[in-house]
Amino acid sequence: MEKVAVTGLGIVAPSGIGRRQFWANIKSGRSFIKKITRFDASKYPSHIAGQIDDLEKYSHVSQRLLKKIDAFSHMALIASELALQDAGIDIKKEDPNMVGIFLGNAIGGWLYAETELRDLYIEGREGVSPYMASAWFPAAPQGQVSIYYGIKGFSKTVVADRASSLEAIGYARKTLSKGKLNMILAGGMEAPVTPYALLCCNTYGGLSSDNAHPESAYRPFDKNRRGFVIGEGAGIVVMEPRERALGRSANILAYISGYGTSCDGQNRIDPDPQGQQLARAIKMALTDAGVTAEKIDYISLDGLALDIWDNSEIEAIKNVFGKRVKDIPVSCPKSMFGNLLGASGAADLIITILAMENDLVAPTINLDTPACPGLNYIMKEAKEHKINKALIISRGRGGINSVLVLEKALQ
Amino acid sequence: MDTKDQIKDVLVKLLKVKPEELKDDAKLCDSIGVDSTEMVEALIALEKAFNTKLSSNEIGKLSTINEIEKIIQSKISK
Repeated sequence: MEKVAVTGLGIVAPSGIGRRQFWANIKSGRSFIKKITRFDASKYPSHIAGQIDDLEKYSHVSQRLLKKIDAFSHMALIASELALQDAGIDIKKEDPNMVGIFLGNAIGGWLYAETELRDLYIEGREGVSPYMASAWFPAAPQGQVSIYYGIKGFSKTVVADRASSLEAIGYARKTLSKGKLNMILAGGMEAPVTPYALLCCNTYGGLSSDNAHPESAYRPFDKNRRGFVIGEGAGIVVMEPRERALGRSANILAYISGYGTSCDGQNRIDPDPQGQQLARAIKMALTDAGVTAEKIDYISLDGLALDIWDNSEIEAIKNVFGKRVKDIPVSCPKSMFGNLLGASGAADLIITILAMENDLVAPTINLDTPACPGLNYIMKEAKEHKINKALIISRGRGGINSVLVLEKALQ
Repeated sequence: MDTKDQIKDVLVKLLKVKPEELKDDAKLCDSIGVDSTEMVEALIALEKAFNTKLSSNEIGKLSTINEIEKIIQSKISK
């Protein structure tokens, strides 16, 4: 399959909005996990998260539109604008029928929905905003971005738990490879820091409740891991066929050259402890990219910080890479700002692109003693390292495995 | 505040538009590009403001401020 170029990126995350601020914080290994302040979450077992408090400061979205949309659509609009600016694309000059939007999220727009449902039960039918119907559902950001830019091409919203955005990017690549569109805005957004969404994440049982130490609570692959911490944000990239990107002399950030996806088909929540299907997805992605395992020089880990998830991820990597695992740098930078759930894969892709650009691997923070030794974990601090071909792993509940191969664009 | 000003005030606060964008004789869809969902919300807000019942058959996005004023006047003067 043809390589697809990534020519722009837009990131909205607790660690920063926009590539410059975000990367400065990521490379310094700074944690942005804090106690939740948006509402009284003190009675929840886990009441820490990666929050974005100054979204409006960076927003180009009018007040008139803001009252009609949930925070996850707002984040998608900001990330889309940043990505288009980064790509140097004036969307008005594009054929709208040949532009698509492929976005993923896991839970929908709950901040809006919760408020309106409360009003329904207190005030009755007339208390509910008429925008509720179009604000909360998972495809709302896709719709809002398409309306904002007048985009009219084939588009998709993917809901596949935490793997949603990497699945969306994989699907976008397939679509572009077939020559169906000229460009796609692809990625994901998630806004789970709301009373009901946080409750659901808590009852799932996978969250760290080390509320006394927010900054060190998310410890993927560490011996003392106690679960993950949620975060909110969006990551969106501009994807174009290679020929078109070269033709318009675009600054090609990287190529997406391979994608693999599989399901474990074993359990409602947990993955296969041996990670066999994840290993198959990694092999599929490598085959798709036409590269051998020996060529991979960085792996971005999913890292849920739960025994069965982390261990099975390592098992799968060992299965594919064999003795080479001790040489390949691996890291899980989301330990700094929280797991963006459906948007996590897109954020990982963006971090990997920035790492390639800067020849610097972002670290896993709070990883003091690896529970599964033998891998080249980049811990605590960023490490200088040239990345030419990277693997990105994203996984969802019930055993959804998504893997992407990213290649540096050689100038 | 007379009825017309009150209608404008409701729309400005509700739809976050600038007061000068509202033209007395222009259809709401032309002057401020109002959509059907915004009209549902506007109708509910106008009902509350004037303590009367309004239907979407009477007021819609093709209505002008002058027409809305006339309808509301006729209802509240009864």
